[in-house]
Amino acid sequence: MFKRLLSLPMAVIAFTCLYPLFFTLNNALKTNKEYILDRFGLVSSPTFENFVQAWTRSRLSEYFLNSVTATVGACLLLILLSSMAGFALAILRFPLRRLVFIAILASLMIPVQVVLVPFYKTIIAFGLLNTRLGLILSYTAFFLPFSIYLMTSFYAGLPRELTEAARIDGCSYPQIWWHVIFPLGKPAMITLGILNALYCWNDVLISLLVLQNERTLMVGIAALRGEYTTNVPLLCAGIVLAALPIVALYLIFQRQIVNGIATGAVKG
Amino acid sequence: MESRTAWAFLAPSLVLIALFRIAPLIWGAQLSLTDARGITPGDYVGLANYRELASDPAFQDSMSNTILLIATLPVWVCFPLLLAILIHQGVPGGRFYRATYFLPAILSSVIVGSIFNTLLRRDGAVNALLKLAGIAPVDWLGSSSTALISLIVVQLWATFGMSLLIFLAGLSTVPQDMIEAATLDGAKLRHMIWHIIIPTLRPIIEFVAVVTTIGILTSMFGLIYVLTAGGPGTSTTLPEFLIWLELGKLNRPGYAAAISMVLFALMAGLAWAQIRIMQRNADV
Repeated sequence: MFKRLLSLPMAVIAFTCLYPLFFTLNNALKTNKEYILDRFGLVSSPTFENFVQAWTRSRLSEYFLNSVTATVGACLLLILLSSMAGFALAILRFPLRRLVFIAILASLMIPVQVVLVPFYKTIIAFGLLNTRLGLILSYTAFFLPFSIYLMTSFYAGLPRELTEAARIDGCSYPQIWWHVIFPLGKPAMITLGILNALYCWNDVLISLLVLQNERTLMVGIAALRGEYTTNVPLLCAGIVLAALPIVALYLIFQRQIVNGIATGAVKG
Repeated sequence: MESRTAWAFLAPSLVLIALFRIAPLIWGAQLSLTDARGITPGDYVGLANYRELASDPAFQDSMSNTILLIATLPVWVCFPLLLAILIHQGVPGGRFYRATYFLPAILSSVIVGSIFNTLLRRDGAVNALLKLAGIAPVDWLGSSSTALISLIVVQLWATFGMSLLIFLAGLSTVPQDMIEAATLDGAKLRHMIWHIIIPTLRPIIEFVAVVTTIGILTSMFGLIYVLTAGGPGTSTTLPEFLIWLELGKLNRPGYAAAISMVLFALMAGLAWAQIRIMQRNADV
């Protein structure tokens, strides 16, 4: 009985989580006039005009491509580098190992806001301003410590016999990494891929700094919000387009995302 | 051989981290002690930037806003904790609630900000609803008395699912037989929460508190950028946004770097606590 009673506030909270998203989708399908006349009613004759306009005239298609390039590039690079570093830190034995691990974790203390000015100057100095490569390298640098942490703690849990057996079979260390350790990291890599894709896709500050002539999708949406304050349905269409890939990813990989974030946060 | 391979495998990561994080931090610290203007390097001025900062009203406001936000920390921790316990204790529909509550957490702050901007602005949906109910409209984002609280509520909406998920993961480690034994002895839910669940969850609660505070200090930029732009006045300006504004003016990098160093000092203690917890859990 008590538990049933609690369902009510929980359902109300669930409603507040879903309604803003429904509101956005519902109004993205209305014309501006329909929106002004009735913003809560269910759309009667859906129009896709807003989506077409946002995609073409507001150039979201270009921004979309920029975001996809940066996200995919950074995710692949992050998986490769963190698997390499995790192999070195969890499996190989060398002097200063613990110190390097702590130093990498310690760089978590330096978020981009703290180094905004010199980071911006560094990007300019390397000629990376307004390049997608610059954005990919920046994302990699800022999301790398957590990725290395996760891969290291995953690899640390593997049985040592695996590498020892491969050693006895005459494999070199790079061969062990490539043939044994890299493929074994798959579960952790899926978690990492999802988390990093989320961070890169949703980022706004780093891309505001690095890509100033072109835009990523999130910067584009922020600009759209500023430019079309009177055309809410168009803005809603842009929001739906920008959120769609992530929401789709969530619906498909819900279990992996939920487990990944939970284990990633509490224990790698 | 082993150690040479290790360094070779670590090299690309270490170079990237050194280049984009550690070197800029040192450069920033040095820059904050100069009167650099525009692109001219500037001279060493000691702590002059910091002294100026201490009497800068915008900076003072950003700090008091931060303190206000951190004062609401118990809500950020207890609200998702309570919901997680209820889901864990088997409220009907728990799986649905877990999936739904987490949905906002995957959205970009820009998306969340844009949605709530259309809902909360003066001619927005919330006021339209209030009008239907015969209540006078409130300028949620445009008046300095409600802007910060609106920002807090929206950020809470966007992130409580994440903390909830972390708590749920922690709750799965609470020994189930202890709960069953307590239920047999006729213990009430609140006694169970107080005497079994909270003590077991202590490390997780610490972790969420630390991560939430770090989030308050460093991950609200996107939301502020689209929701209030720091205004009205400075009523929703936080240090990270202030740094962005100073960078935008571009003429005083030394001063902007000084704000960054203050934020770093705040971050360092918190991040150290987080790293200690992470290191303990990674067991390397």
